[in-house]
Amino acid sequence: MIGQALPRLEDRRFVAGLGNYTDDINVDGQLYAAFLRSPHAHAVLRSIDISAAAAAPGVVAVLLGPDYVAAGFQGINHVPNPADAVAHAQAAFLHSSTGLILNQPHLPLPIDKVRYVGEAIAMVVANSLLQARNAAELIEVDYAPLDAVVHGADALEPDAPQVWDSAPNNLCFQTQIGDREAAQRILAAAHHVVRREFHHSRIVNCQMEPRAAIGEYDADTGEYTLISGSQGAVRQKVGLAAALQVPLEKVRVVCPDTGGGFGPRSFMYVEQLAVVWAARHVGRPVKWTSDRSDAFLCDYQGRDAIIRSAIGFDPDGHILAIDNEWIGNVGAHTVSYVPMSNGTRIMTSVYHVPVAAVHVSAVLTNTVPTAPYRGAGRPEATHVIERMLDLAAKDLNIERAEIRRRNLVRHDMLPYRSPMGLTYDSGDFARNMERVLELADWEGFAARREEARTRGRLRGIGLANYIESPVGAPRERIEMTVLPEGVIDLVSGTQSTGQGHETTFAQVVATQLGVAPQAVRLRTGDTAFVSVGGGSHSDRTMRLGGMLLVEASAQIIEKGRRVAAVLLESPCDAIEFAQGQYLDRPSQRSASLFEVALHVAHNGMPGEPSTRTLCAVAEFNGRIPAHPTGAAVCELEIDPDTGCVVLVNYSSVDDVGQPINPLIVEGQVHGGLAQGIGQALSEGCYVDRSSGQVLTGSYMDYGMPRAAVMPPLRIELTEDPTHGNPLRVKGGGESGITPATATIFNALADALRGLGREVSSDASGEELEMPATPRVIWEYINRAGRNSHAD
Amino acid sequence: MIDIELRVNGTEVRCPVPDETLLVEFLRQNLRLTGTHVGCDTTQCGACTVNLNGVAVKSCTILAAQASGGSVVTIEGLAGKDNMHPVQRAFVQCHGLQCGFCTPGMIMAIDFYLRQPPALDDASICHALEGNICRCTGYVNIIEAVRHAAREMYPELRAAVVEGSAS
Repeated sequence: MIGQALPRLEDRRFVAGLGNYTDDINVDGQLYAAFLRSPHAHAVLRSIDISAAAAAPGVVAVLLGPDYVAAGFQGINHVPNPADAVAHAQAAFLHSSTGLILNQPHLPLPIDKVRYVGEAIAMVVANSLLQARNAAELIEVDYAPLDAVVHGADALEPDAPQVWDSAPNNLCFQTQIGDREAAQRILAAAHHVVRREFHHSRIVNCQMEPRAAIGEYDADTGEYTLISGSQGAVRQKVGLAAALQVPLEKVRVVCPDTGGGFGPRSFMYVEQLAVVWAARHVGRPVKWTSDRSDAFLCDYQGRDAIIRSAIGFDPDGHILAIDNEWIGNVGAHTVSYVPMSNGTRIMTSVYHVPVAAVHVSAVLTNTVPTAPYRGAGRPEATHVIERMLDLAAKDLNIERAEIRRRNLVRHDMLPYRSPMGLTYDSGDFARNMERVLELADWEGFAARREEARTRGRLRGIGLANYIESPVGAPRERIEMTVLPEGVIDLVSGTQSTGQGHETTFAQVVATQLGVAPQAVRLRTGDTAFVSVGGGSHSDRTMRLGGMLLVEASAQIIEKGRRVAAVLLESPCDAIEFAQGQYLDRPSQRSASLFEVALHVAHNGMPGEPSTRTLCAVAEFNGRIPAHPTGAAVCELEIDPDTGCVVLVNYSSVDDVGQPINPLIVEGQVHGGLAQGIGQALSEGCYVDRSSGQVLTGSYMDYGMPRAAVMPPLRIELTEDPTHGNPLRVKGGGESGITPATATIFNALADALRGLGREVSSDASGEELEMPATPRVIWEYINRAGRNSHAD
Repeated sequence: MIDIELRVNGTEVRCPVPDETLLVEFLRQNLRLTGTHVGCDTTQCGACTVNLNGVAVKSCTILAAQASGGSVVTIEGLAGKDNMHPVQRAFVQCHGLQCGFCTPGMIMAIDFYLRQPPALDDASICHALEGNICRCTGYVNIIEAVRHAAREMYPELRAAVVEGSAS
């Protein structure tokens, strides 16, 4: 059952149109909310006149930031500084040279200034959506526009506009990890040093379901309810209770089907808080649904980092030291520092690096807040080291796969402690790379390049290795109950945003308990019955949840054995359990797990007559080693006349640990890869650098990957087993995306070598802009005039 | 207000709505057929695709009044009760969906593409899917599901060698 490519159990309702997303839900008596959003990236709110809006037809309330504060509520605490990747009980970032690690409360509506284009200023609640929207347009705001800063490096300039008075120089924090002096000493003496600056472009999350939220308030009990799709109901509940200043038990969060997560939906949004506040204010349920235009302006965005890298090499291409500088663009509110903690931890990747250091600056700008987006720092770090290796290979005249071979952490070096403090317990990095080179016919590439040249095409090939880290929320819980009617009821603190938990959890439990997967019922996403859990992100669901399913199953089997001993009139230790049956071999009598549960329902557990269910609880809070790893190769062609890129094929070897369901794992690889291709080649979130105006506000401007984006794929799953968890799970959600931009940019640079000059090969060289759209490539080709490709 | 008369999934419905009501709003809000989704506001994503008078249309870009008098099939009416349409079966079999939000629109677009014996090369299928966006799947298994369904619906296509298909 584990390891079987079982079609998903949840799919039947989705393909029939019976999915239940937040906007599909309507609550009796609900009103509709619309938000007035800022047209300025940075402006003082001098005054807001709501009189015309309040008097408009159907309007029930118009709410502003000061109303929220006056009611005694607090801003959202996003807990931006995440749990550390190793010491989970402490935060990832402990020190700042500024003395500050900013955690700015995020009010649902601002009280002083607006800080990005699209920030909600006022909320209108009306009898119909149209009335709410029309009334929002009647609100008169007197803005005093301020200069805006949107680019991470600009924000650090001495005279840059200040986003928050509480954060001088726009620094949320600034810190040094690793021994920078030692690294710089080695670089100063190194045979060769490669230096390069990388800009990781900003990504719009673009989950297909526009966000929506329904707030309810029960004045009799003082209880709030939020119905809203997200990546984790428990986190939302904790956040809401803190903001609303009520005990946890006064808040219920219901998370129905969620149409895509990808990271940003782990965090609370102002609209989710605003609808429950408004529900209390007006005494009726309040519903809000985003449209896509809103989503482009205010859904938390991904990436946006500047990484300056310096790597020193010996004459044979061995890495001696790395000294990096990482500037993360946090946006206008402190939602998350996760990309910086993940990315810096993993920045030496699968290579043996004697000394590494990184200087981190988390900067505020007048842009949409950023949050972890699939991979969250790891694709950025992978991109940098893999590009740097290609540059070094060229400079040192070493073949590109060969320079990697010389630097890979060998299997006999495991467990290997990286200079950034992670311990790799498993992973055959060399074998993965050799296998992907074989899959991609790396050796035979020269002939294909030559053939393409005869057609006037520039063909290139690129390679990248990758590894990930076992992070995310450290706490998780599984409750398992055997119901006499033949159901294994599961309650999990993590929940699906499309990963197919109903199927994979059923496969694990079916394997452990010997029941049919159809007998397993998974319940998630409602804090009425889910008490603990971190939601789905960072590949954590099966890593933690799977381990707990095994543990809970073992508890069930042992508890049931005590009952079976009574039923079968035999001592406990004589009773075997297999295929869902307890068997007393001497008498050949047996009882099924469900018969045992029925006995418990009627008679209670032996010695505990009041315990009338056969149930188990397994909970975990900590870190377990699990490092998904692999290698990928991309081959592509550029049409030099247009700058258009065609991906010719893509190969990857992915060690996700033991795949619970290979069909689902491969689907995860496909999806991640498509997002990586999007970031590399088309998904530009363009914001005007001086005004902060958003230039890509819809699917008509933003380069979402469409069906033709995917090249022919050769994907192979492999496993060098981890012993850190009983199912040997590492994680598959981020395999596709982590090496994607690195392989593609290495292949682009390789293809452009056909022009007879190098991309970023000299000391003053610059990287191709990301995304490398046809314009970017065409301009690169034409900067130095038409060249040898045209012969 | 305007009276809408529409045949929806084989049932006649009649309902007065504000003039500006879009077909998708009429389906979702008046008829509570929430399988048809709204994924954008610029006619780009295709999550709202339904079949109107035999043609796949984006129901966010047509007024209910324009559709009045016609016949609409939505995802809920594509197959008979308790049955699945071959395209729906193919999506399950090929893991053509993850979060499921784009899925109804995808299925309705593909249903239209497969109403005649289709070309099954990558370029033709991708062209047929041009108007539908998915963020989860990378489209690989959706393209596979198109082939899977086509071969079930058109047995003569089973033996055909497909050129340019993803390996």
